[in-house]
Amino acid sequence: MSDNLNLIQVKDVTKKYRLGSNEVEVLHGINLEIKDGEFVSIMGQSGSGKTTLMNIIGMLDRPTDGSILIKDIDITKKSQKELVEFRRRTVGFVFQQFHLIPSLTAYENVALPLVFAGDRDDGAVASALERVGLAHRMNHKPVELSGGEQQRVAIARAVVMKPKILLADEPTGALDATTGSMIISLLKSLVGEITVIMVTHNRELAEYFDRIVYLKDGNIAD
Amino acid sequence: MRLHTLVLKDISRRKTKLGLAVLSVIVAAAAIVAVITTFSAATQGLYEESNKFGANIIVRPEVKTIPLVAGSTSIGSLSMGDNYIEESEIPKIYTIKNNTNLAVVAPRLYGIATLGNSSAVIMGVDPEKEIKLKSWWKIQGHWIAAGTPEKTEVMVGSDIAGPLGLKEGSSITLSQGNISINALVAGVIERTGGNEDGYVILPLAASQYLLSKEGKVSSLEVRALCNNCPVEEMSRQIEGVFPGLEARPMSQIVESEMAVVEHTQSSAMAVSLITLLVSTLTVASTMLASVNEKLKEIGIMRAVGASNTQVVSMLFFEGAIIGIVGGVIGFAIGTVASSLAAPFLVSVTPSPMWEILPLVVGICIITGMVASFVPARRALGIDPAEVLRSV
Repeated sequence: MSDNLNLIQVKDVTKKYRLGSNEVEVLHGINLEIKDGEFVSIMGQSGSGKTTLMNIIGMLDRPTDGSILIKDIDITKKSQKELVEFRRRTVGFVFQQFHLIPSLTAYENVALPLVFAGDRDDGAVASALERVGLAHRMNHKPVELSGGEQQRVAIARAVVMKPKILLADEPTGALDATTGSMIISLLKSLVGEITVIMVTHNRELAEYFDRIVYLKDGNIAD
Repeated sequence: MRLHTLVLKDISRRKTKLGLAVLSVIVAAAAIVAVITTFSAATQGLYEESNKFGANIIVRPEVKTIPLVAGSTSIGSLSMGDNYIEESEIPKIYTIKNNTNLAVVAPRLYGIATLGNSSAVIMGVDPEKEIKLKSWWKIQGHWIAAGTPEKTEVMVGSDIAGPLGLKEGSSITLSQGNISINALVAGVIERTGGNEDGYVILPLAASQYLLSKEGKVSSLEVRALCNNCPVEEMSRQIEGVFPGLEARPMSQIVESEMAVVEHTQSSAMAVSLITLLVSTLTVASTMLASVNEKLKEIGIMRAVGASNTQVVSMLFFEGAIIGIVGGVIGFAIGTVASSLAAPFLVSVTPSPMWEILPLVVGICIITGMVASFVPARRALGIDPAEVLRSV
């Protein structure tokens, strides 16, 4: 029986991709445990497999072998329908390129997870936007927002369902240093009620994290 | 916000690109509407034209004729059988299978009566029914009313009115044997070139009294109310319920004209359906391109909790919207095109066929949704991790 403080357990996870006639193994039997409320960074050079590992933890991608346990429940065994529900209520994603829907306002982008989950908006959207300091910009479309503001909207969208886990893939990668620091601070402020896993290659941000996991060539480096 | 709001906002953003899909639906819908409207009007016009020919079916007693021959010389023929139909039997005609196609069943009684110093053919009719068959007659005066033998009106053909100097308001006396009736001329039928030019037409009851044929009629003139009724089949059905009567289908010329119209209509409809097929492929192609453009957005939606069903529903809804918009605009354009072209093509001016609007829009919605099938399969095949990584 594992330590029940561990929210996430990555067990012997392997991921292989087929590139033409070749098979490439991106992750080689990764084992990792992340506690509830931790702010963990996955660092590594480009191609080290950090984004793949993050996507597998969020079940945007399935491992070739191994398992992912969330609160001791193996989510790799869940059906497609159960995984949709998992992505709706347990994890939130933040991406480097923000990935907002351009035809929707900030408010509507943040409301998307509620729409798909069929939940009523009982002030959750406004509250999430307020938390990222963008309540006054809720009626603006992404094109009318700065990069930093778009990323804050993306963070509001990721937390509107009050998930247990927030997965951020290079969230500062498309931002200048000042704005990037602001985003990291914002993510840091969420830690405690949410477990945040952030993929980055920027070692200058190390001071913000509770723990850093280094990946090298698909393995966890010491 | 709901799912359909997402779709409508997306359509609004990409309206120029989706315009091609809508345009192809418009073309198909307009073609279908124009064909249906034009040819319905043409068929209706022919049908109305056929009304001038009178009845579709004539029912009369079956008369067996035996030729009389002396050696190698024919000396005439001998007719056998009852030459009248019992008036009380007429309602049986409404028991045939195609009874809903029976528009008018007009009884007639023919006979000879004395008018002045000469004989005249008299025709007893039910005025209310006869006027429906002979609506194209031009009457100097007015149509006769039902009347009674004691107080009756008659209409006279132009070949009788002329020599006798009869006109509206003239009084005549008709007699047959010991029976005679006085009648007022209600109107004179302008020359038609038909038998009626030499007839005196009077109400059925008066003619039965005059000819001492109470309760009897000579024939039934039947008008079938439809553009392409199975007249032959209806004739057989009538003969089935009236043993001893023969029912002859008429208006074969009109029917052959109808056949030409129907053949042309079938060809035009085939072209329209091919247009619809091309439209479906165009919509499918446009929507597939749309899905390829929206890979990232679909990946985002999947990442933030959209299920496969929701992604597919959104695409089908988009297809349905394209169908609705294209169908309604296509209906309008097809109707206008038909009203402009039909007078030259088929010499009729059609009216808008609002009753086919739901059908046309329904077909267009189905077209849009069928066209969404392949894009939907493509959308379901999207790996969100892959598309979000690659942008």
